[in-house]
Amino acid sequence: MNLTLVFQSMFSGIMMGSVFALLGIGFSLVWGVMKVINISHAAFGLLAAFMSYTLLNVWGIDPILSIAVSVPLLFLAACVIYRFLIAPLTKARDIIVPSMILTFGIAIILENLMLLIWSPDPRLLTTAYTSKVVILGPFYFQYPRIAGFLLACAGVVVIHMFLKKTYTGKAVRAAWQQRDAAQLYGVNLRWISMITFGLAVSSAAAGGVGMALLYSFEPHTHNLWLIYLFLVVIVGGVGSVLGAALAGLTIGIITGLSMAFLPYQWVNLLTFALLMIILIFRPQGLFQSEV
Amino acid sequence: MPSWPRSSLFAGAMIVLLALAIFPWLGAPVYFVSLLFTVFMYVCLATSWNLIGGYAGYLSFGHVAFFGIGAYTTALLVKGFHLSALETILSSVPAGFVAMLVALLVGYPCLRLRGPYFAVVTLCFAFVMDLLIKNLNFLGGPEGLWLKSMDLPIQTVRAILFEAMLGVTALSIAVAYWTDRSKFGAGLRAIREDEEVAQTMAINAPKLKMQAFALSAFFPGMAGGIYAYYLTYIHTDVVFDMMISILIVLMALFGGGGTLLGPIIGAVLLTLINEGLSTFVKAELARIIYGSLFVGVIIFLPNGIMEFFRRTQGESPH
Repeated sequence: MNLTLVFQSMFSGIMMGSVFALLGIGFSLVWGVMKVINISHAAFGLLAAFMSYTLLNVWGIDPILSIAVSVPLLFLAACVIYRFLIAPLTKARDIIVPSMILTFGIAIILENLMLLIWSPDPRLLTTAYTSKVVILGPFYFQYPRIAGFLLACAGVVVIHMFLKKTYTGKAVRAAWQQRDAAQLYGVNLRWISMITFGLAVSSAAAGGVGMALLYSFEPHTHNLWLIYLFLVVIVGGVGSVLGAALAGLTIGIITGLSMAFLPYQWVNLLTFALLMIILIFRPQGLFQSEV
Repeated sequence: MPSWPRSSLFAGAMIVLLALAIFPWLGAPVYFVSLLFTVFMYVCLATSWNLIGGYAGYLSFGHVAFFGIGAYTTALLVKGFHLSALETILSSVPAGFVAMLVALLVGYPCLRLRGPYFAVVTLCFAFVMDLLIKNLNFLGGPEGLWLKSMDLPIQTVRAILFEAMLGVTALSIAVAYWTDRSKFGAGLRAIREDEEVAQTMAINAPKLKMQAFALSAFFPGMAGGIYAYYLTYIHTDVVFDMMISILIVLMALFGGGGTLLGPIIGAVLLTLINEGLSTFVKAELARIIYGSLFVGVIIFLPNGIMEFFRRTQGESPH
């Protein structure tokens, strides 16, 4: 086996995986804290990717900078959606199933809005540095991948620090661990859920831009991203930020390596078979969860 | 369920069945025959999904796999044994059994998982089956498989397959009706409410779940077999389409999971609404309205449309 190729595909796997992680963290948090499976999570990420596409092509704004526009916008949108659509659900005993149907509806609406606005053509974020590479010894790294990697690392660190250091973040963790006890200690669950949902959708926005830096995208792409979200959450354990980060990297490395050494059509098969095996033998995730 | 006497319920069902059975022979346009065929197919799929997803509360998101397995089984049987038209339709029975066998093999490890984990593992299973068949060349691979159609006018062909699908659908509803009233169904409901408590009440949960899962795979397998003959061309992108899996779940839950009529109402309404919208409105706009429908129903009727009828009857939902 060619060792350089192994390391090269591992590095690109790590870069892809970091973006999977950023995309998946919010999904995992919402699932863990609010018991809501947000099927539209990836669709919001894709919406941010399309926003940066327009900003790039109309005003020439760099995709990374465009996050400053899409993240606050989607945060607000998420808060509104939480207040008027998801909060009314929380009265029910088990909201996982209704929440899946509800957010599936939102995903269909978003997908078709994107089809109306941006048409079904595949898009690419083509910036001035798209084709540039950094060469380090025998390895080469594409600029967009480095940008995506740095963005993902920054995103994961920000979310992690928020949850560990701020009062609101601690309340989110408390609500995840013991809903009732957290409420007894004066945590306003509605407020915390809204912040969690807004934060999750914002991180999806950043993750979506990261994905757009790596892959081409069109309005249906979020279905594929959704599968990666489930992978990240199942491998990392529901609700765990560090677990999601590690899971993203693991999945990235596996995908990277299998892309290098397997015929393309077997890569996805391997990914899903692996996910099935992990689910059957370790449904709590490969990494013990800790928010 | 309103408690009509059994005999009049049976007579009513028979009249409806007969009326539907003679419909394609009255000279109705092929369009309506095909539309009703699709409606029956989804009624059958949603009703059989309801056995495991509605009554037992195990949300399978991979039911399209059984549909696809049925379609491919029929196609392979036709290819291998050069079956005649009647034999092709009958080959949907072994197709159902193959789907059932796969359900038993997959269900054994997967049914130990609960809630969203079961949902995700079945989703993955459907993807694995799809990709596996796509990658195996003797199954047609990425090119798909062709079936020879009957040497009859299109109207007659559609009518014959219409009757076959109606038969499978009626059978699946009959089994659902039996489940709804039997001890088997009561056991499944107990599992949905609380599996631990059910087990302490001497309900053999693993066995019941396996039975329900296998039964709920059988009819989609048969429907897949008939659908393959209806299309005459099958491809993994068509018979393993993820949208079908999701639609089945949504239809059953939209109508009301764990009720006999819920999946039927859900499948009929959603198929007709989808058809109507895509005929009269621009495709994207139609999908947006369709999506809003899900949001609206969940906000106003979180337990499905059946809840509305229960409310008006003054019964409590649980």
